[in-house]
Order: sequence, then C-alpha cells, then structure tokens
Amino acid sequence: MALDGIFNTTINLLEKNLDLRVRNQNFISANLANAETPGYIPTNLSFEGELKTALKSRGGTEAAVTNPRHIPLKGQAGGIDGVRGTVIETPAGSLGRDGNGVELENEMGKLVENQILYNASVQIIAKQFETLKTAIKGGI
Amino acid sequence: MDFFSAMNVSSSGMTAERTRMNLISSNIANANATRTPEGGPYKRKDPVFSAVPAEGSFASTLGQAGGRGVKKVEVALIQEDQTPPRMQYEPTHPDANAEGYVAYPNVNVVGEMADMISATRAYEANVTAAQAAKSMAMKALDLLR
Repeated sequence: MALDGIFNTTINLLEKNLDLRVRNQNFISANLANAETPGYIPTNLSFEGELKTALKSRGGTEAAVTNPRHIPLKGQAGGIDGVRGTVIETPAGSLGRDGNGVELENEMGKLVENQILYNASVQIIAKQFETLKTAIKGGI
Repeated sequence: MDFFSAMNVSSSGMTAERTRMNLISSNIANANATRTPEGGPYKRKDPVFSAVPAEGSFASTLGQAGGRGVKKVEVALIQEDQTPPRMQYEPTHPDANAEGYVAYPNVNVVGEMADMISATRAYEANVTAAQAAKSMAMKALDLLR
C-alpha cells in the first residue's frame, strides 16, 4: 500500500480483524438459527492464531509484491491481508438426542465476545484516525 | 464484509421458530378437538428443521462445496405425530365408540408448554444475533462521522 507510512500495520491489522469478526458473526448467527436442527454441528471461524503468525512474520525478509501479477511467496500469503481463517467445528460436550451440538449459552457467550472485540477494534481505528487528524492540524 | 448474510440467517431462524410456535399454538388449541376434516381426532403436528446453505457471495458458495459454509435453517416438512390417541371413558359424548371411549388428540399440553418456552428462547437468541449484527454494522458506519 502506498500509504503504508501513514496507515501503519495497526490499521491494516484492525481492518482485517473487523472483516474476520464479521465473518465469524455469520457463523455464530447460523449456529443460533440452527439451535434446534437435528444433526447440526456448530461451526466457527478460527483466525486469531493465523493473524498472530502473519503479524510476527512481517519482521523477517519478505519478497515484495510490486506488481499485481506477482504471486506471494508460500507461507507468506500476502501477510495480514492473506489471513482467511479456518472453519472449525465446535460441538458441545454431549450431543443432544437428535445429534444437535449447539449449546445456546455457549453461542451467546461467543456472540457477545465477538461483538465486544469488534467494537474494540472499531474504537481503536477511530482513535487512530483522530490521532492522525490531530497531527495534521498541528495539535490544534 | 457481509452483514446481510448474518441478518438473512437470523431471520431464517426467526421464521422457523415462528412456524414452530404456530404449530404449538395449533396443538394446544386443538388439545380436545375430537373431529377433523380428515376424520378422527386431531393429531399433533411437529416441524422438522433442516440446515441449508445460505446463498451468498462466490467465496461462501465455494466454502460450501466442502460443506463448511454458513448454514441457515428451513422448515423441511411438518409431520403429524402418529402416536395413538388418548382414550377417555365418556359414554355420553357424541363421538364415543361402542365401548363408551372417546379418542382425544395425542396432545400433551404440558409438553407443548415446554416446547413453547424452548421456541421462545430460540427466537430471542436469533433476535439477539440480528441485533448484534446490526449494531456492528452501525459501529462501522460510525467511523465515517
């Protein structure tokens, strides 16, 4: 990104975090909607570890993608932008008699957690922009 | 980011739970109905839910190829409970059989009540999920202010 100097890694990371949290929200909604569907196993998007690895690997040597037709090196996968998360199955400890693995309390907990972390990211982005604005205005 | 598939999925859940609630109401209302257009006492009805892939972007369709995408819920069919009717000795009843027994619907009102609470809670969970998706979308919009 040309504006990497101003919009540093933090913005990039938060942006990706927002994107992935929205996708996770879709999965949690699906689990709640299917709370009574026989044989349904709840799924979730797991991406925290992947994001962390992508963030860490930024320090090492990177093959820069200077042309849109370049293919990023294996393992690098475009750094933070390349994090897609993996869909994992999260069945409850004991399946119901109909084979449904959704635990409502568990899903509600995940819903709230996801929402709070999303809101936190939004707030930090807003703060970053505010700081930038202060700098542009010269502290006025 | 697509907030709308979360909304779509939650509303499918609400629709399914509402259908279930309608059937429970019907079961309770007809708990003592001895006559139906098909003949015989009323039979309790149950919805059968099934998880179907939520239509959406190409990426999510691609994810579904492996059966790992976001799934919404649909009422696949409404099935009639085939358990035998409740027989009650009431010789004066116009629908009593030769031995004086009346066939009452196989509805257990207490069971229906429990189902009703479960349907209410599941509906509320879907409302909460939809609200969460909405508030997240609004928060993102707030960045523009």
